[in-house]
Amino acid sequence: MSLHPDSELMNLLDQIAAQDDSALKKLYERTSSQLFGLALRIVRNRDAAEDVLQESFVSIWRGAGNYRASLSPPMAWLGLIVRSRALDALRKRTTDRADLMNELDDDMAQVLEGDSPNPMDSADASEQAFALHQCLGKLDNKQREVVSLAYLRDQSHAELAEQLKLPLGTVKTWIRRGLEQLRTCMARYA
Amino acid sequence: MNLTQHPELLDRLAANYALGTLRGGARRRFETLAREHATVRAAALVWQTRWSGLTELQPAVQPAPAVWTRIDNLVQADQSAQTLHAARVSVAAQPAKGWWRNLLVWRGAAAAGALATLAAVAVGVQVNGGLRSTAGAQIAALQQQLQAAPQIQYVAVLADDQAAASMLVTFDAKSNQLVLQRVGGFKEGVDKSLQLWALPPAGGPRSLGVLGHDPLLKFVAQEGDVKEVPTLAISLEPLGGVPSTTGPTGPVLFKGALIRKAT
Repeated sequence: MSLHPDSELMNLLDQIAAQDDSALKKLYERTSSQLFGLALRIVRNRDAAEDVLQESFVSIWRGAGNYRASLSPPMAWLGLIVRSRALDALRKRTTDRADLMNELDDDMAQVLEGDSPNPMDSADASEQAFALHQCLGKLDNKQREVVSLAYLRDQSHAELAEQLKLPLGTVKTWIRRGLEQLRTCMARYA
Repeated sequence: MNLTQHPELLDRLAANYALGTLRGGARRRFETLAREHATVRAAALVWQTRWSGLTELQPAVQPAPAVWTRIDNLVQADQSAQTLHAARVSVAAQPAKGWWRNLLVWRGAAAAGALATLAAVAVGVQVNGGLRSTAGAQIAALQQQLQAAPQIQYVAVLADDQAAASMLVTFDAKSNQLVLQRVGGFKEGVDKSLQLWALPPAGGPRSLGVLGHDPLLKFVAQEGDVKEVPTLAISLEPLGGVPSTTGPTGPVLFKGALIRKAT
């Protein structure tokens, strides 16, 4: 339909705001695997991530009318909805420590392998995401990972250190160095 | 120190703030400055926008197909609720009369909403999940019949005064069966019975049967009993119901338009 993915997604959001449920289905077909991947990365549990995806699309259905006021690229707006729902789910679950401890091992394996890719699956990603992708690609995998997790899971240095079983100083250093490189790199895209 | 005079430091703080790693007192100080200085606010917004790109960069994973089904069910229920709400508003706008006179209005409104309502009933059943598994299987069968089988010629969704669907009624002309499916949580007391009435355009209400306490009920009926009947209603009666000639004596709990499906 449209050559520019952003405008196609924006049109779908406008139609959803007018309560067109076929547009919601199209949006789901276009974006659900990307958004599910995001939810999964934050909550680290398939069932929980599916609940997050479901809640997110219901709130997109009800709140698409607010999209235009956000001035965000559509994928970023959708991503923020999913992230916010996923963080809610994560907070509810944090009380269950045993559950959390099991997941940490996966995380550690993921990070310490040191070869986690710098993914960019989505053809719908916005220009700003593309710039970030380029700049993240220049970081060490470990730096990229802690910076990404800090944002996606809204975690402090201390929480990251505990979760990744790393010394606090190490986490702080990785984030500081990662951020410095990113700032320099992103400035070129400003 | 005036942060706005130190762009490098401002940028670093803004990046940390938006990333979420600026915490405690430092975070609060930054927020105070952002409220005072548009430059600080702008720097924070720039980085919030940049970081939000991270949500777009995670590896894609295909969700289970059932997730869309669940979303679609909720959305359809949402739409039906709105349709019914609109119908109720138009009913409420009418001057109060006897309940069966109001049904003329109901007929039009409910006819508009009826198809959507059917979806809502299906959703209610799936979402509430309150029905026992055997009933669940029967409902599933009933839904399939509704969609596919041409012998179901009449359907009605009876709703309470809150427009919550409470009873799904179908008439199967082949087997001369009127099938009632409870879909709400309503339970009459042990000393009461629910009674189903046809409300023909002329003449008083005519009893179609007294409901037992099962979630799924079947009455023998002839097509003549439901043909030309615009509306069905359910009243709360003493245990065992009342004679048809008496007409309903208790409150009408549920009512709805009887729709003849195109065959």
